[in-house]
Amino acid sequence: MHDLIQRPLPGAQKRRAERASGRETLAALAPLGGLIALSIAFVLIGSARGINMAYSVETLVNQSVIIVIIATGAIFIFAMGSFDISLGASTLVAAMVGGLTYNATESLWAMLLACVATAVTASLISAALAAIFDLPVFVTTVAMLSVLGAVAVALVQTTGGAQIRVDSAFARSYDTLTVKFVVAAVFIVLCVFLFSVTRLGRVEKLIGGNPVTARLTGIPMKKTALAAFAIAGLGVGLGAFLTVLRTPTLTTSTAGDIGMNVLVAMVFGGMPISGGPRTRIYAALVGGLSMAVLNQTMTTLLASTSAGNGIAQVVRAVFFLAVVWVATSGHRGRLLPR
Amino acid sequence: MRRVTGALAIPVTVFVVLTALCSINGASLFGTDDSLLLLTRGVATTMLTAMALAINLNSGRFDFSLGAMATLSSVIGATVAIQTGSGIVVMGGITVAVGVALGAFSGLVYVLLGISPMVCSLGITLLYEGVSFAITGGANVSFLLDGGLTSFSKSPAAMAAVIAVGLLVVVLLFDQSRFGYDYRALITGQGPAVAAGIREKRNAVAAYAISGGLMGAVGLILASQMGYIEAGKLNFGSIGIMFTAFLPMFVGGFIGRYSNDKLGYLLGALCTTLLGLAFAALHLTSTVQSITNALLLVGFLLFLSNEDKLARLWRRVARRDRHTTGHLPPASPDVPAQPIVRTGATAS
Repeated sequence: MHDLIQRPLPGAQKRRAERASGRETLAALAPLGGLIALSIAFVLIGSARGINMAYSVETLVNQSVIIVIIATGAIFIFAMGSFDISLGASTLVAAMVGGLTYNATESLWAMLLACVATAVTASLISAALAAIFDLPVFVTTVAMLSVLGAVAVALVQTTGGAQIRVDSAFARSYDTLTVKFVVAAVFIVLCVFLFSVTRLGRVEKLIGGNPVTARLTGIPMKKTALAAFAIAGLGVGLGAFLTVLRTPTLTTSTAGDIGMNVLVAMVFGGMPISGGPRTRIYAALVGGLSMAVLNQTMTTLLASTSAGNGIAQVVRAVFFLAVVWVATSGHRGRLLPR
Repeated sequence: MRRVTGALAIPVTVFVVLTALCSINGASLFGTDDSLLLLTRGVATTMLTAMALAINLNSGRFDFSLGAMATLSSVIGATVAIQTGSGIVVMGGITVAVGVALGAFSGLVYVLLGISPMVCSLGITLLYEGVSFAITGGANVSFLLDGGLTSFSKSPAAMAAVIAVGLLVVVLLFDQSRFGYDYRALITGQGPAVAAGIREKRNAVAAYAISGGLMGAVGLILASQMGYIEAGKLNFGSIGIMFTAFLPMFVGGFIGRYSNDKLGYLLGALCTTLLGLAFAALHLTSTVQSITNALLLVGFLLFLSNEDKLARLWRRVARRDRHTTGHLPPASPDVPAQPIVRTGATAS
């Protein structure tokens, strides 16, 4: 028995195991390596072009903080192998309700509460539909996308115009780096604690990795899903709160691209779309920052050309595919992934 | 008889209910002069999009890039047609051919990189949107005054021809060819099919190419309908086009159990288009339309996900009725009803 455990691997097998381990390490470090490489490129290109770096860094934070917050919360959903496509629409509706609440109460805290309550409610409706009626989560979120889009149109119509305006002086006074850092730091620390220290994170990884085993071991699947969606809703609510402060004039197209950008940021940061044991809570931070650094670099390079935004997006797509390819290099099988 | 009933139950019910609703409200489902055009055009775009979505979704591959493929292929087709002064035939040929090429490229990226198809499609969407923007500088490609290019989508006959050709091509490729047999084998058992010698990567690229060709046709119809193409959509602005296809795709998958899933997509698209005509006839706001569509999607999926439970409940109720009227209980135990054909769209 002792011999079986201690027996050394034969040479070729050992080398294969070492190579596989090396690929795993490379895959795990690829997103972080990408962020470092992009940051170096950002500094070099910015310095060469003589741009105001302090201003660029502030823009970079403004671009990334909302994505990072929402993506960090959404990791709890994606870790279970579920998929939420309605995050952007939920952010918009929560921001609109928050804006209307501020206009009615002129209270910052009431606005924050309204944003969070709306987003958590929307998130829990998706989860409850999926959990109670055995619907695929992705499909319920597609339906929620339509419903929330319609709700956003209805909310705008309550003002009699095409937008919901919040007092811009009020918004400007709170649209500061300090507020953003505090909100982001509190939420990220909470998520890291819940995901890495409590049972919730371990259970979610198990559900994402092997749902059948998870069910057989007695894990409460529905309760876990509801908890995950509630945390994701909290992140969306906080993102919506910062959106109102950043963009006090809300239209139906506000936050339109947030949902998909959140997804891209998570994958960019090394989050496997199938969830499971390889889920990384820091993926949202690394991915969100990487996207923002890349965007800023491309803006510096291509701002003067009419096709600039298109070329910037092409470069972003190529980077995205390359990072994902490297990040998944240790996990390819004989069959095509599905 | 059961097959005919199963296949026609939803479309006939939808038609009867919508006609009744319109009549009660003093409106007509086909009240306008261009109702036939709206019907054929709606069915054509919805059916082609539903088939393009289902081709890969049936294989567990969700594709976000369908809208971007439709936009980029029509941008290239229209740009060439405008610059060379050629007509709709050239524009159509180029648009569909570019759609096939874009789909094949998307499939190649997927098989060569070996990454999750959903993630791959995110990258491809960004790529194609970026290329569309770069080609046009973010401006619309407009040909509003070119009657030759805009006449295509104003002809019900042309739209009917698109429906017939699209359906025929997809049925031939998926039901009557070696590619189609391999495709179904891969759906039902990926590992055994590959072990048996089916070339999965080649099949996947071909499936993506067909899907791209269908979206090229959709792009052509939409471009011809509007007289311009919005090429400045970045950051996933193009993905909305496929959300219209979810309901008809699931309805089509259900109908396909009783007949053929491609015919199901046609009938599913017919139901959705009739619904759109009814919304217009009843003057419903876009908010009500969106919520109604979402509720219908959720309701239908609730039915699909709980079909077995509903069937068991129905049998129990029927048995209780028989007992109370003096009939003997059934001699055999309950066996859940099996659908005739287990095909159709699924989503994860």
